Amino acid sequence: MLKDKLKAIFIFALYFIILMMFFSQSSASATPDPTDQMRPFLKKVTDALADPALKTVPKKEQGQRIIKIVRERFDFQEMSKRVLGHQWRNLNDKEKGEFEDVFTQLLQYAYIGKIDEYAGQKIEFTQQRIKGDRAEVQTLLVDKAKSIPVSYIMLLRGEQWMAYDVVVEGVSLVRNYMEQFQEIIRKDGYAGLVKQIEEKIDHIEKENKGS
Amino acid sequence: MNLKHLRQWSLRLSLSLALVVVGIGDIAGARDFLNDESYEDQAATEVYDPIEPFNRVVFTFNDKVFLWVLNPVATGYSKVLPSDIRGCIGNFFYNLGEPVRSVNCLLQGRFRDSGLALSRFAINTIGGVFGLADAATEAFKINRVKGTLGQTFSVWGIGDGFYLVVPLLGPSTLRDFSGDLGEALATTAWYYPWDDDFVTSATVFGIQDINYISLHLGAYEDIKSMSIDPYVAFRNAYFQARNKTSDHLVLPNPTININR
Repeated sequence: MLKDKLKAIFIFALYFIILMMFFSQSSASATPDPTDQMRPFLKKVTDALADPALKTVPKKEQGQRIIKIVRERFDFQEMSKRVLGHQWRNLNDKEKGEFEDVFTQLLQYAYIGKIDEYAGQKIEFTQQRIKGDRAEVQTLLVDKAKSIPVSYIMLLRGEQWMAYDVVVEGVSLVRNYMEQFQEIIRKDGYAGLVKQIEEKIDHIEKENKGS
Repeated sequence: MNLKHLRQWSLRLSLSLALVVVGIGDIAGARDFLNDESYEDQAATEVYDPIEPFNRVVFTFNDKVFLWVLNPVATGYSKVLPSDIRGCIGNFFYNLGEPVRSVNCLLQGRFRDSGLALSRFAINTIGGVFGLADAATEAFKINRVKGTLGQTFSVWGIGDGFYLVVPLLGPSTLRDFSGDLGEALATTAWYYPWDDDFVTSATVFGIQDINYISLHLGAYEDIKSMSIDPYVAFRNAYFQARNKTSDHLVLPNPTININR
């Protein structure tokens, strides 16, 4: 009698242990799905862009609002690091932070112009691929007469996929800036680069005030 | 004895052909954004641009022509014709290029792509009413393939020469521009044999250009306004776009491929 009871408890415990092992293992090995994380994020961005209330605030604030949402899934530090290439290693932490700020500001201003252009274009998810801790989520921006292929290149940080590059029709944004920045660094040095980006930001700011 | 020689030769021939095909496969998979090598610093030195001062002058000239002539014309044109009709006109011109594309794929040893381009031509000319609709992509799921004479030259081992900004036509390289000239000649000789004067061909290519710009209004200004050095930005975009073999819908080597 007692023996049977013990046996039952033993079997139950065994089941329990196997079950625990199964669960713990599956949660450790499963990587989150990049498309599943990208989909609600892009929905949030397009919703914000389509929001009529956005157009009522000044241009600078429009850009700030959008970039705040974009920050949720874009790693601007990783982006800055890749854009600078080997120059990044020569910077101290303070300079790294400063560069990230000024580069993010440049992107923010570059995209202010896009806010007016957005007219409810749909985003279709076509494919994704994962390679270790990197992933590419491929989408199509569907416009009236054409669709533009846009890929997001992402890095796994903990449980979150964070984007650090956008590839539009085969042209990577990071690689494009990288070549421009390297030529400027070669001619005018790193300080010259920061100065030129700041000048560009000033220029766009003045243009926005004019319009 | 002779027969043995013949066999050896045919073996060698097929081996070298196979090598060519393998070589093309390598080019196709050269750039993977998920590899850190594609972000390495040497990317910048890849571009050989010895006549940069000259190119910059032409770039500025093209920029003015674009902003003062082509863009206003294309904007007016886009207001007259709705976008779906302009899309059809774009398809029509693209379809005219398929035979030349097919021949180029053949010359590069890409036999499958060559056949695809040719079947696209047949399907779209008949089923797509003279190529106005792209039935091959939409109904038959045969995606567009790239096959330019510049590419063919590259496969044959002819180098880029150097980066060249062509007046009115924009970014190119010495090799690619020669290829474009050859293709333009082949296309006009193919379709307009009754009239080979310069003005007619120039008009046809002009319409093609205006139509293309009208479908991509604002794209030029966008890249320009976002860049610190627009000249380098466009040079880099030219080489990056050329390196992609097709739109990203077809992956050369998908690790995980989920169709959603």
